[in-house]
Amino acid sequence: MHVDLQGDKLRSRIRELSAFFNKNGRMPSFSELGALLGLRSKNAVSKLVNTLEQKGILERDSKGRLIPLSIGAPIKVLGIIEAGFPSPAEEELADTLSLDAFLIQNPQATFLLKVSGDSMSGAGILPGDMVIVDKGQSPKSGDIVIAEVDGQWTMKYLKKREDSVTLVPANPNYRPIKPKKELKIAGVVTAVVRKYR
Amino acid sequence: MDNQPITIRSWPKAILHLDADAFFASCEQAIHPELKGKPVITGKERGIVAALSYDAKAKGVKRGMRLFEAKAICPDAVILPSDYETYSLFSLRMFEILRRYSPDVEEYSIDEAFVDLTGLRRSFHGPYTMIAERMQEAVETELGITVSIGVSLSKVLAKIGSKWNKPHGLTFIPGREIHRYLAALPIDSVWGIGPNTSAFLKKFGITTALQYAARDEQFIKKHLSRPYHDIWHELNGRSVLPVTAESKSSYQSISKTKTFTPPSRDETFVFAQLSKNLENACIKARRYKLAATRLIIFLRTQDFRDNGIEMKLNNPSAYPSDLFGLLREGFNHVYNLCSFYRQTGVVLAGLVSDSGIQHTLFDDTARIEKMAKIYSAVDQLSEKFGKYTVHHAASLPTKLQAQHEGERGDVPKRKADLFKGENKRQRLGLPMLDIKV
Repeated sequence: MHVDLQGDKLRSRIRELSAFFNKNGRMPSFSELGALLGLRSKNAVSKLVNTLEQKGILERDSKGRLIPLSIGAPIKVLGIIEAGFPSPAEEELADTLSLDAFLIQNPQATFLLKVSGDSMSGAGILPGDMVIVDKGQSPKSGDIVIAEVDGQWTMKYLKKREDSVTLVPANPNYRPIKPKKELKIAGVVTAVVRKYR
Repeated sequence: MDNQPITIRSWPKAILHLDADAFFASCEQAIHPELKGKPVITGKERGIVAALSYDAKAKGVKRGMRLFEAKAICPDAVILPSDYETYSLFSLRMFEILRRYSPDVEEYSIDEAFVDLTGLRRSFHGPYTMIAERMQEAVETELGITVSIGVSLSKVLAKIGSKWNKPHGLTFIPGREIHRYLAALPIDSVWGIGPNTSAFLKKFGITTALQYAARDEQFIKKHLSRPYHDIWHELNGRSVLPVTAESKSSYQSISKTKTFTPPSRDETFVFAQLSKNLENACIKARRYKLAATRLIIFLRTQDFRDNGIEMKLNNPSAYPSDLFGLLREGFNHVYNLCSFYRQTGVVLAGLVSDSGIQHTLFDDTARIEKMAKIYSAVDQLSEKFGKYTVHHAASLPTKLQAQHEGERGDVPKRKADLFKGENKRQRLGLPMLDIKV
C-alpha cells in the first residue's frame, strides 16, 4: 500500500515535469522544479532529482542542469506510465461534443426554421421556437416532419401504417391530415431550440 | 495523328464540372419551397434583375433588365432582395458535399466547381457515371437545388458537358464520342474563347469546336497564344489544365461597389459611400495579406454614366488611413456638384504581398508599425463582434440614409427576422427555411 502511494506520487510528479517540458520546450531549473511540485527546500528537489536520475528519467550535465532522457518520449522505465503523458483534462475532453455537433448530425443538409403556428404545442414546440430540420434523413413513422400536403406546408407527426400515411398534430384544436393527392416531405425535425435570454 | 478523329478509348483523366442551375433563384426556391415552379427574380435592392429562375427565363426575362421592364413582361414574377448570406452558405455546402467524393475540388465560382474523379472508380465500385449521378443526387436532395454536370477527359470538355443539357442535366463525354459533341458546337461556346478570338478563327474557316480541335499543332502554335494551345489540347481529350484544389488565396485586384437609392447629390454622403467601399476593399486585402499599389475610384451617375480616376500609391498599403488623402483628391477630381449619383466603387489594383513591402529611408516606420497594430486590432474586433464594429468616421454618413429607401429597402427575411441571440451583424451559420408552420 505504502509503496503504491509513493509510486503514484512519483508518477504525478513526472507528469508535472513532462507538462512543463512540453509547454516550455526545456527542463526547469531546480528552483522552478521546486515551485512546480510544491517542494520548499532545495534539498527535497535534489533528492527527487536523484531518484529520477536513478530511474533513468533524466540526467544532469556537468553544470548540474537537467537533461530529459525519457520524458516526452515513450517511457520504459516505470513500465506503468504510457507514452507522452497527455494532460488528464485533454484526455477527458477529447470525448465531448460541441453543442453544434450535438444538435446537427448532417451539417450540409441541416436548415433552421422559425415556428409560427401552435399545432405542435403538445410536443413542446411553440410559436417563435427554432426547429432544426434535416433534409438528408429519411423520415420514419413517429418523426416530426416538415411536409407539403396538397399544396399546404405544415409541421406534424408522421404516422405510417401499412396502407396509409397520416400527419398528426400535437394540439387537440387541430385535426390529423390525410393527404388526398400529394405529400412531399421537406425534412425531418431533429431538435427544437428555445433561447430565453 | 492530329488529323485523325478523336478516339480515346480509356479514361486517362476523368474531370467533372458542376454548374448549379439558376443558382441564386434556386437557393430562394429551396428556402421558400412554395416558390418552386414560379418565376423568381432576385435583385430587388438593386432595381435590376440580378438572377432569375428558369420559369422567369421562359417568360422572356433577362439578366440585367430593369425590374419594371421585367414586371411588364412577367407580371406574376416574385421579386426578392438578394440574400448573399444564404447563397454563400449554399455554395459552401455544395463544395463540402463534393468533397465527400473527391478531395480534388476546385471552387471555380460561387456556383461552379471542377472535380477530379480520376481513379475513384475503384473505391466506389462503379463507373464514373455512377459517381457523378450520386454526387448530383446528394446535392439535390440535401440542398434542394438542381445542378447540371458534365464529365469528360478534360476541364474544357467537362464544361461543354455541363452546359449541354440544362437544367438538371448529366452529360457524359467519353473519349470516343468527343467529336460528336464538338461537331455542332460553335467555337465561341468553348470556355475561354471570346468573341474576338472566334472572329479571328472565322478568317481561317473555323466556326465549330471540332474544326478547331482538328487543326494541327503547328497551325495553333503559329497563330495563337498559349491559352488557346491549352484549349486545343483539352478539346482533343488531353488534360493540360489541372484541377486546383486550394481555395482562392490570391487576387489581381479587389473591387467593392455599392448602389444606393434614391440617388444622391449630397457630397458628404456620396464620399461616405466611397469611403465605406474603400474600407471594405482594404479589409479583404488584409485578409489575403495583400497591399495595393494603385487605387481606382469611380462614381456612377443617375443616368448610368461613369466617372473614374486611377491613382498610383507611393507605398503599397491596405490601410484606409494611408489612402484617404488620395481618395479625397480623386473624389474632388471626379465629383460634380450638379450630378446625382447612384453608385460608387473602389478598386485596389496592382496587389502585392504585404510581407515583401520595401520601405524607403524616408518612411516613418513608427507610423507604419502603429497602423499595422491599429488595423490588426480593428480586424480582431470585427471577427469577434461583426463587421463595422469599428470604422472610420468618414464612412459614418452612410447611415444618414438607408442603403435603399422605399420598397427597394426590403432586406432578406434572414436579416429581418432574427432569433434571440442573433444580431444585425452576426447570425447563425445555417440557411433558414421560410415556411409558415
